[in-house]
Amino acid sequence: MRILTWLPGRLLGAAVVLVGASALIFAAVRFLPGDYAQIVLGPLASAQEREALRTEFGFDRTVGEQYLLWLGQAVTGNFGHSLASGQPVAGELAARLPVTALLTAMAVVWTVVIGVPLGILAGTRTGTTRSTAAGRLVSSLGVSVPDYVLAAVVVFALSSLPLGPSVGAVGAPAQDLGGTLLALLPPSLVLAVFTIAATARATRDAVLNVLVEPHVSAAVARGETRLFIITHHVLRNAAVPVLTLTGTITAMLLGGAVIVESVFDVSGLGSYLVQGLGRRDYPVIQTCVLLATTVFVLMSLIVDVVTGLLDPRVAVSGRSR
Amino acid sequence: MKDTATESTTRPRNPVRGALASFDALTLTCAGVLALLTLAAVAGPLAGVGGDPTAIVGPRLAPPSAEYPLGTDSLGRSLLPRVIEGVGTTLVVSAVAVLCTAVISTAGGIVAGYHGGAVNGVVMRIGDVLYAFPAIILAILVASVVGPGRTAALVSIVLVTVPLMTRMVGAAARLVCVRDYVTAARISGVSAPRIMVRHVLTNVSGTVAVQTTYALSVAILVEGGLSFLGYGVQLPASSLGLLIQEGTVYMVKAPWALLAPSVILVLAIVAINVIGDSLRDRFEPRKARSL
Repeated sequence: MRILTWLPGRLLGAAVVLVGASALIFAAVRFLPGDYAQIVLGPLASAQEREALRTEFGFDRTVGEQYLLWLGQAVTGNFGHSLASGQPVAGELAARLPVTALLTAMAVVWTVVIGVPLGILAGTRTGTTRSTAAGRLVSSLGVSVPDYVLAAVVVFALSSLPLGPSVGAVGAPAQDLGGTLLALLPPSLVLAVFTIAATARATRDAVLNVLVEPHVSAAVARGETRLFIITHHVLRNAAVPVLTLTGTITAMLLGGAVIVESVFDVSGLGSYLVQGLGRRDYPVIQTCVLLATTVFVLMSLIVDVVTGLLDPRVAVSGRSR
Repeated sequence: MKDTATESTTRPRNPVRGALASFDALTLTCAGVLALLTLAAVAGPLAGVGGDPTAIVGPRLAPPSAEYPLGTDSLGRSLLPRVIEGVGTTLVVSAVAVLCTAVISTAGGIVAGYHGGAVNGVVMRIGDVLYAFPAIILAILVASVVGPGRTAALVSIVLVTVPLMTRMVGAAARLVCVRDYVTAARISGVSAPRIMVRHVLTNVSGTVAVQTTYALSVAILVEGGLSFLGYGVQLPASSLGLLIQEGTVYMVKAPWALLAPSVILVLAIVAINVIGDSLRDRFEPRKARSL
């Protein structure tokens, strides 16, 4: 199998990145100014209580041991307890994960359904100078409007319409799937504006790159129809960069659409992180960031494997240098 | 608008006009917008446009009027000078951060591209680790370590923009380093640092220019996002993100307080992205054809 020649290297690379990222997260929180025991117990705790907590959390060990201990627990799903609520972080995460997953899925659906066709259209129809300028402006606008501006404007617009509450009460898809989907519609669209524009741009670039290939000229010379050329020659070759981008977008959103979730009061991973940050709840911050990076690395790995299988040239060019 | 193709065949005598004419109207307009924003940020406070940004001068949340051209905020401060100051803060923080990014990434990318092999592997792996953090999450992590403020914004922007730019410059440098003239220079005994500066740097400068421009737009986005969440530039200073955040609180009563900084932020980012696109078309041309 061809895949066996490059897959071990990719797996090793992903493992290195994960270890590096987790070490960075651990170090960032471990070396925060201030005494962890004092942050947890407050300023009134006695010396014995602090000492007991230090032993419980393993602060009397070396930094290396602490990191391995933390990582070992994280791998087995033990992320510690939230300082604010006293509940296990894993349990609070489990309640929020489906919401973020649903929000991500919706945004990705909009992205693929709208962004890819737009990009194909832009790539295969090169118009007049004026329409190209308009297209450039619109596509730039799509990737340029920050989610915090767009989210605020959408909340404002929705609140001025008589549709009931525009924000809040988004959660628990298990109990009320229809209601959750409806409530997630505005935030998912806000998220999708950027991803649609980015995907359309990438698709357009990919299509333009394929169009200059000799095999497309050959197809035109053979008198194949425009539609056939687009579906059989262009799309198949343009799929790889588009797929890569879609995978990256999915990973980014799964890690928590921090700002949009906060503005729309969606109780997912992103708003959990912001909440944790506001309360200086370090186990929560650590866990959310670790989760976001892990999802990103694993997703990139999956995308690499899939594109490698789709297009052997990618795998080969990535390997031989 | 004149066609760029005919423009390049009839060369104008004035080199500055020639350089300007080689860009299309949209790009030039965007450059003009950026120049105008910079001018406002520099000259506005010097000329005292709109008065003292921190002084409480009027009623709270007053709509735009002759006296307060952009209205007032929730404390009764005139918004015009605050927006001008905000533009300045955002541009300075972003520009300084992107300058750091450009230096780090260009050096890292060229060294990695020149040496290849293990050096390239180490540099790219470090980039991969940073790249694994979603932008705003990395910024939040930085803010929680160094504390909210300008430094947090600066460091986060650098950490967010370095990985991608290093990768791009590295890839471009790699292509240059296998060219015959580099091999020739190496054979004739030119030192590695000299090759990197004389041959590699000059030939990847296009990529550096394009990526620096894109990094600037990401910088403005990240600064805004971080300030929006309350971990960037702190009051009483002002930045576009901070003003947008303040604006969202009172957006039902005073939509102008949200509108003015938002429009300027979007305008700046669009302008930078359009310039980036047209620089890319220039330095990394593609033989476009239609079906």
